[in-house]
Amino acid sequence: MVTVASPAAVPRPAPVTRSVARRGERVACGVLMAPFFTLFVLVFLIPVGTAVWLSFFTADEPGLGFGPERTVFVGPRTYQAVLSDPTFLRGLGVVGLYCLLYIPLLVVAALGLALLLDSGAARLRSLAQFGLYLPHVVPGIIAAIIWLYLYTPGLSPVVDLLARADVTVDFLGVHTVIPAMVNIALWSNLGYNVVVFYAALQAVPREVVEAAVVDGAGPVRTALGVKTPLIRSSIVMVVLFTLIWALQLFTEPMLLSQSSPMVNSRFSPSMYIYDAAFTRNNYGLAAAASVILLACTIALSYGVTRWTNRSAAGRKATS
Amino acid sequence: MPGPPNRRSVLAAGLALPLAGALGACTSGGGRSTTSAGPVRITFWSALRGSQEVVDAFNRGQNRIQVVFQQIPSGGQGGYAKLSNAARAGNAPDVATIEYPQVPGFAIDGVARDITDLVSERLRNRLLPQALGLTTFAGRVFSVPLDIEPMVLHYRRDVFDQHGLAVPRTWDEFAELARTVRDRLDGPRICLFATVPSGGTHFAAFCWQAGAQWFDTGDGAWNVSLADAPTRRVAEYWQRLINDDLVISGPSEGRQNDSYIQQGRLLTRLSGAWDAGAQMKARPGQKGLWALAPLPQWDPARPALGTHGGSTFAVTKDSAHPEAAMEFIEWQVSSPDALRARLSSGTSSQYPAVPDLAEVGRAAFDRAYYAGQDIYTLFDQEAAKIRDGWIWGPRMTATLSVMQDGFARAAAGQGSLIEAVRAAQAGTMPDLAALGLATSEHTN
Repeated sequence: MVTVASPAAVPRPAPVTRSVARRGERVACGVLMAPFFTLFVLVFLIPVGTAVWLSFFTADEPGLGFGPERTVFVGPRTYQAVLSDPTFLRGLGVVGLYCLLYIPLLVVAALGLALLLDSGAARLRSLAQFGLYLPHVVPGIIAAIIWLYLYTPGLSPVVDLLARADVTVDFLGVHTVIPAMVNIALWSNLGYNVVVFYAALQAVPREVVEAAVVDGAGPVRTALGVKTPLIRSSIVMVVLFTLIWALQLFTEPMLLSQSSPMVNSRFSPSMYIYDAAFTRNNYGLAAAASVILLACTIALSYGVTRWTNRSAAGRKATS
Repeated sequence: MPGPPNRRSVLAAGLALPLAGALGACTSGGGRSTTSAGPVRITFWSALRGSQEVVDAFNRGQNRIQVVFQQIPSGGQGGYAKLSNAARAGNAPDVATIEYPQVPGFAIDGVARDITDLVSERLRNRLLPQALGLTTFAGRVFSVPLDIEPMVLHYRRDVFDQHGLAVPRTWDEFAELARTVRDRLDGPRICLFATVPSGGTHFAAFCWQAGAQWFDTGDGAWNVSLADAPTRRVAEYWQRLINDDLVISGPSEGRQNDSYIQQGRLLTRLSGAWDAGAQMKARPGQKGLWALAPLPQWDPARPALGTHGGSTFAVTKDSAHPEAAMEFIEWQVSSPDALRARLSSGTSSQYPAVPDLAEVGRAAFDRAYYAGQDIYTLFDQEAAKIRDGWIWGPRMTATLSVMQDGFARAAAGQGSLIEAVRAAQAGTMPDLAALGLATSEHTN
C-alpha cells in the first residue's frame, strides 16, 4: 500500500532523520487510514460478527416451543436448516442463472459500446455517453417500478402494441421472469460500465494503437486484439463488481413479486434472508443464510481473481 | 356594550394559555402517579372493522378499565410484523388481534401470553369447543376466539334457477355441476381455485373437511404431514377440475377476481360465513342474486367442515394488566352489546365463537340482500359440523405462502397441486428445525 523505495536506490540519510521520517510516515499513514478502518469495523466487521453470533446462538424453543425460550449455543443446527431448505437452494440456483445471463451480456455489451465510442465511429459521442449513462442515475427501485409498469399486461403499452400485432408475450411468466430482471439490470447499469471501459480506453497509449494500424490491423482487429487486452484489468474489475452486485439480487424481484406469482417471497437468497427475518421471525435462520451468502460471494470473488491472475500469468509466461 | 379586547389583554391571554396548559399537564401528570383508584388503561390493536365502536361501547359501559384503541393494518399488510417488532421492543399492546393460523406462531414466539388461568369457566363453557380448541395447545390457552367461520357455498341463485341447476350436496355432484356449467353456459365457470394471496387457507379448509391433519402435537413434538391421504384426495380432485378447464384458477383478491364475480363469470364462491357480509359491501348491485347453502360434503352421512377466516384476541407478554385485558376480551367476545356495536359499523356476517350470540347477529343482519334468507340459522347448523382437532402450524404464514406459490405455478401449467403441498412441507421443516422445535415428518 505504502511503497518505500529500496534503500539502495536513495542516498542513505542519517539514521536519526530516517527514524523521524519513518515515524511521520506512520502517523500520516494512520491518520489517512483511520476513517477507512473505523467504517470497516462499524459497517462490516461488527454486522458480520453479529450475524455469525446470531447464527450460532439462537433463542431455543425445545419441544413444542410453548415454554420459555433460552438463548443457547446451537452449533451448526441453523446452518444445517438453511442448507436443507429447498427454497434457499432454489434461490441460489436462480441467482446463479441470473449471473450466467447477466454478467456476460453486460460485459460484452458495455465493452462493445465503449470500443465503438472510442473508435470514433460514433457521432455525437458525448450525447451518446450521456444517453447511455442517464438510466444509471435513476434509482434501482424507480427503475423496477417503471419496468413493472411496462411488463404488466393491461397496463403496459408495449404488451398492448404487441397484442395488436397478434403477439402475446407474458414478460412475467414462468420462463421469462429472469430475463425480464436481467433486462432491468442491463438497462440500469450498462451506461455506467460503458463509462468505466471508455475511461480505461482513453488511457491506452495512442502510439500502440497507431503502431497496430501501421502494421495493417483493421478497426475490428485493433479494437479486439490491441485495445481489449490492454484494458483487461478494468474488465476484471467490472466482472467482479457486477458479480458481487448480482449475488445480492433483491430490489427487482421484491417489486416484481407484487405483480407476478412466479416471483415468490424467497426468490433470491437476499429475499430469503428478508423473509426469514421479517416474515418468519427466524433471526437465526436469516443470520445463517446471510453468512452463507457472504461466504459464496467471497469464494466466487476470490475464484474470479485467482482465475484471471493465473491466466494473466500464463499469458506472460508464453509471450 | 363591551368593546373589542385591547391588545394587552389578548397578549396576556396568549401568555396565560400555554402556562395554564403546562400547569394542567403538571397536575394531571402528578395525578396519574398517585391514582390507584382511577381506571386501568389498557391498549388494544386490531385491524377488524367496527373495533372502535366496540371499544367506545366498552368504555361507556364501565369506568374501571379505559381501553385505548389503535387501528393497525391487517396481518398480511404489515400488522403482524408490527406486532412482532413491538413485542421485540417490549412495548406490545395489552390486547392484540391474531387470526387462527398465526396463533401458534405468536404463542411460540412468546408474544401471546398463556392465559389458561385467566379464562373464566363461564366463558369456556359458552365458547364453541372447536373454536377454543384452535387456540389451545398442549392444554394451555393462548388466545380467545372472537368468531369462527364455517365454510359455506355462496351461489348465484338467479343463474341456478334460470338453468335449472341443483345445489350440489356432495363433491361428486359439485364436479358434475362444474361440467354442466362449462358445457351449457357460455363463459362462466363453477368457481375459482384460489392461488395467491389466500389460496392456502381455502385449500386448508377443504383438507380440514376431508379429514386431513397437517400438524399434530402428539408426543410433545410437531408432527408434520401436509401431504396425508385426505389432502392427496383433495389435491387430486381440484387438479382434475383445473386440468379439465372446469374452474378458473387465479388470484383470490384483486381486480381480476372482482370483475369475474361482477360479470357473473363465477357461479359460486366457497368461503367462510363472513364472506356473505363482505359480498354485500363489495357488490351492492348484486342484491338478490346470491344465496347461501351448505358446503358440499364427501360423505353426507358423516358431514364435516373446515373453517376459513376468523380472529382471536390474545393478551401479550408485555401487558401490565392481564386481568383487565382479559375482562375486556371476555366482554368483546361474549357480550351482546359488543356484537351489536361491531355490527353497527356496517355490514358484517361474522359467526360468533359464542354461539348463543348468533341470535343477536340474526336480529341485526339485514336480510334484504339475500332475499330474506335466514343465513344465521344456516351458520348455526354448519358451525356444529366443524371438525374438531385441527391444528395450525408454528409458521403458518410461511407454510401457506410456499404452498400458494406452488399453486400459482400449477395454475400456469408448471407442476401440480400436490407438488405444491409437498414443497410447502419441505420449505417448512428447516424453519421449525432452526427454531429448535421437536419435529417429525410424515409423508404418508
